[in-house]
Amino acid sequence: MSGASWLQAALAIPYLGALLIIAVLSRHPNLRESASLLTSGALFASVLMVLLAFLRGEPIEARLIELFPGLSIAFHTEPLSILFALLASGLWIVTSVYSIGYMRGLNEKHQTRFYVCFAISLGAAMGIAFAANLLTLFIFYEVLTLATYPLVAHKENEEARMGARVYLMILITTSFVFLLPAIVWTYALAGTLDFRLGGILPRDLDPLITVLLLALFVLGAAKAAVMPVHRWLPAAMVAPTPVSALLHAVAVVKAGVFAIVKVVLYVFGTEMLGQVPAERMLVYLAGFTIVAASLVALRQSNIKRMLAYSTVGQLSYVVLATLVLTSFSEIGAALHIIAHAFGKITLFFTAGAIYVASKKTELSQLRGIGRRMPITMTAFAIGALSMIGVPPTAGFVSKWYIIAGAFQLDDYFVLTVLALSTGLNAAYFLPVIFRAFFREEDQPPAKPHGEAPWPMVAALSTTALLTLLFFFYNGPVVELESGLVGKSR
Amino acid sequence: MIAHNLVALPVVLPLLAAAVAVLLPPGRKPWLLATGIAWLVFAASLALALRALGGEVLSYPMGGWEPPWGIEYRLDAANALLMVLIGAVAAAVFPFAGPSVKRELGEEKSPLFYAALLLFLAGQLGIAVTGDAFNVFVFLEISSLASYTLVASGKDRKALTAAFSYLIIGTVGATFYLIGIGLLYALTGTLNMADLAARIPEVAETRAAHTAFAFIVVGLCMKIALFPLHLWLPNAYTYAPSAVTALLAASSTKVAVYLLIRFVYGIFGADFSYREMPLAWLLIPLAVVGLLSTSLVAIGQNKVKRMLAYSSVAQIGYMVLGIGMASSLGLAAALLHVFNHALMKGALFMALGALVYRVGTSRLHQWRGIGRRMPWTMAAFVAAGLSLIGVPLTVGFVSKWYLVLAAIELGFWPIVAVIVIGSLLAVIYIGRVIEVAWFEKGESDERCEAPLSLLIPTWVLVIANFWFGIDTRLTVGLAELAAQSLGGTP
Amino acid sequence: MSHHLILRVVAKFLIPLILVYGLYVHFHGEVSPGGGFQAGVLVASAFILHALIFGLNKTRPIARPGVLKAIAAGGVLLYGGTGVAGMLFGGEFLHYGVLAADPVKGQHLGIILIELGVLFTVASVMLLIFYAFAGRQKPEAQ
Repeated sequence: MSGASWLQAALAIPYLGALLIIAVLSRHPNLRESASLLTSGALFASVLMVLLAFLRGEPIEARLIELFPGLSIAFHTEPLSILFALLASGLWIVTSVYSIGYMRGLNEKHQTRFYVCFAISLGAAMGIAFAANLLTLFIFYEVLTLATYPLVAHKENEEARMGARVYLMILITTSFVFLLPAIVWTYALAGTLDFRLGGILPRDLDPLITVLLLALFVLGAAKAAVMPVHRWLPAAMVAPTPVSALLHAVAVVKAGVFAIVKVVLYVFGTEMLGQVPAERMLVYLAGFTIVAASLVALRQSNIKRMLAYSTVGQLSYVVLATLVLTSFSEIGAALHIIAHAFGKITLFFTAGAIYVASKKTELSQLRGIGRRMPITMTAFAIGALSMIGVPPTAGFVSKWYIIAGAFQLDDYFVLTVLALSTGLNAAYFLPVIFRAFFREEDQPPAKPHGEAPWPMVAALSTTALLTLLFFFYNGPVVELESGLVGKSR
Repeated sequence: MIAHNLVALPVVLPLLAAAVAVLLPPGRKPWLLATGIAWLVFAASLALALRALGGEVLSYPMGGWEPPWGIEYRLDAANALLMVLIGAVAAAVFPFAGPSVKRELGEEKSPLFYAALLLFLAGQLGIAVTGDAFNVFVFLEISSLASYTLVASGKDRKALTAAFSYLIIGTVGATFYLIGIGLLYALTGTLNMADLAARIPEVAETRAAHTAFAFIVVGLCMKIALFPLHLWLPNAYTYAPSAVTALLAASSTKVAVYLLIRFVYGIFGADFSYREMPLAWLLIPLAVVGLLSTSLVAIGQNKVKRMLAYSSVAQIGYMVLGIGMASSLGLAAALLHVFNHALMKGALFMALGALVYRVGTSRLHQWRGIGRRMPWTMAAFVAAGLSLIGVPLTVGFVSKWYLVLAAIELGFWPIVAVIVIGSLLAVIYIGRVIEVAWFEKGESDERCEAPLSLLIPTWVLVIANFWFGIDTRLTVGLAELAAQSLGGTP
Repeated sequence: MSHHLILRVVAKFLIPLILVYGLYVHFHGEVSPGGGFQAGVLVASAFILHALIFGLNKTRPIARPGVLKAIAAGGVLLYGGTGVAGMLFGGEFLHYGVLAADPVKGQHLGIILIELGVLFTVASVMLLIFYAFAGRQKPEAQ
């Protein structure tokens, strides 16, 4: 099969999986979960085939339909797309295994809706990853928002509804108010919305307009959680942990930063932005987000909320690195998408495991839990170290490249931000690890417990392992990204 | 013979069928007749639209009297789009009306009810297809009188007062229009639209021409329900039977918008309307205020039917905004939204009718958890609601895209903000319904889905929302063709 | 008012005359003020006079509401039918010229027919409206 056919397969599989789950299997719980696993496996395989075809140098494109005269829903492949798609589909497999343990462990309701929406969300993520123009990106970006709404409101209590409301309102508001006008404006200025390396906007565009447009994109892609449009992330923590893990650590948030990186490289072009000094404003915004988010995370008592704010900060690492516009920083940005995904999903998995095993949700309750759940807390430690950026974890690799990128320009602001945030990350993560392993429990739990159900432990161990492995095996990714970055200059 | 007279058939058939319906016994027969006619009319309008897509302008001299002395039926891209729309809406709503009206009103008055429905259809199509300004008035009155009757037939006693205020305001509007036409006739000696367009430039500077323009525009704005002349609409839509509301929402105001476009661009010409007369200064502020204020009011409503009525007024604001922008792209956007909004609101009101069929009311707190009891019906409501919000892959997005593009092209950034804020307000009021229906607990959990006879027509329109949101060749093609032929930029 | 002898006698005399006058106005619609609308109202007024003098109860059996509805619909059908006949004979809707060999005769025929339709509809609808309003009170037993 040609690369293009695999691409079409990858785009269609999640929806077919969703249909399968609805139509045939809502009455057989076991089959439902197997369908989910099957779909994620098939998806990952297809994306892998696309990667292989791409590496062979095949041109891979697909076109769905012409929506407006001159504007179609179209797809292409390039290094970033494949990266994102592989990441999302691969981690979906792990999350499916995890979900089995989670849903069974808590005896959750509405599981069909859960799995179906999950599948559609992943389908949307694929659409975003492989989008060949801004229109296609926008369409699937919105589908992602809508498909994840029922997942956030899943528990159906007042808290979940409120959280889902905030989630939806912020994402849709930013999409409609910032992103859509930005896209239409781009169309009016450039005459096309296709992604082209080096940008599609006219070179002589007024610098003020350039910055304005860029700002609209950065704020419009609110899934990247740059402040002040970040509040949806902590609000979304009312969702079940598998949702928080895959979607709000991997699919949704990475879709946001992916969109920004894609826009910077393929709509504006690093050269053009490099000549606009006012672009620094957005660098400062990203830097501010990193530090502010870390400070807020410091003050959180709920585990998931702390992780949410940590995510906000980590995402802005990617935005910061992208906007610094040096070759190393661009590579660092791409690497961080992967590194953060591995680390964060591990952390969320552990949070969910702790909840299922002991019903604990607050950081203060974690004293001594390392003895009861050693595997889980070790994974937590690995994820935390990756967030801080300590070798031998994935986080170290990406941070290294970002720092190198900053040095290319002697960018002291960025270096300060990086140093400060590393310190702050350590400040809120290390105490947790310490308390878990080296302190006694306040009181023994009502029901003595060990590790969480085995599917959950298997999942979080896998992702922790990936976090470690990426430290050692990141060559191919670096090569892929360097190729891209080289071509874009 | 049929091909030769195809242009007139969509008007003649329902007119005669109305008389036949009166003669039929109460029961199902009038409904079956009406539905059959609606489908025939839809087929005819599709055939005509396909010819118009090729750029052809079809002319039919009524009674064999040649224009400009005789009444001419004239079909170009703009009104071909409208005809297809009315035909499609009728073809979907009439089958829906059978069970819905039977549940809400009973069957004894059905001959008269369906006669009124058919007269309404004939009137709307007549307005769409005619090329004579006075003939427009005749059909305007036919369809309006029929619609007053239809609104008054609602079973709530308030339907009578709603119909009465609708009647008063509607008649005033039609009379203003008539006065305007009279003045134009005195000035130019003709009533044929194409002829008027040719003769008005000579008399453009007279006070009589300005007065005629003012009367016609204001009269039509009453029919359109442009803020602040919209006060008749919420009550009329709320108390009419559900099928009637669906039909009205999807056709009568759209036809009035088309008339406004025809007069402003086609007859008076963009030059006169925007340079000689300050039309943009009138339309844009009113559209903006109307859009925002009625969206806000919609959020506070407890009856979903009333909420959707206010939403309709807001959406009309979008259409008028497109017209007021006085550019070719803005005009195309307005025409697109005429078509798309009819699809959206038609589907929404039909889904509402199906929900009311089972629940008996459209009060939001009675709808708790209804998503689980009537999943298909509620899904239709949600899908149409998404279209209203403007989610990509729906017709709503297509309209929004063109409106924003038109505004950006002219550099009207505040208008972009207004358009976008309007969508957000729509998210709030539609979101409220979705939350209550799906994410709150109802009293029972047993399934009581709406009957297929209601679901199928509703879903046909819902699917049309997505179909035309993805395959935009027909709608965008006709809209752009129409915008060019009507002459956009002054 | 049925006990007023003079009124009764005069009414009985006048009603047929009113009807004939109505027909006259109808047929002369093309050459003098008149036509279907005016004729219809005149015809209706004859019946209304009857109802005023002899009481609604006496008039209703003569001009039954159901029959009136049918005649109203019939009138529209006659009008429309004439138009359709024009189409069937090769012309457009309401093209009367083709209804007879000589176009002028055809016009003549067409106009008379459609005006007849108008007469039927207007007369019956006027009466129905009268019934609707007058029937709201008990007919006075005078």
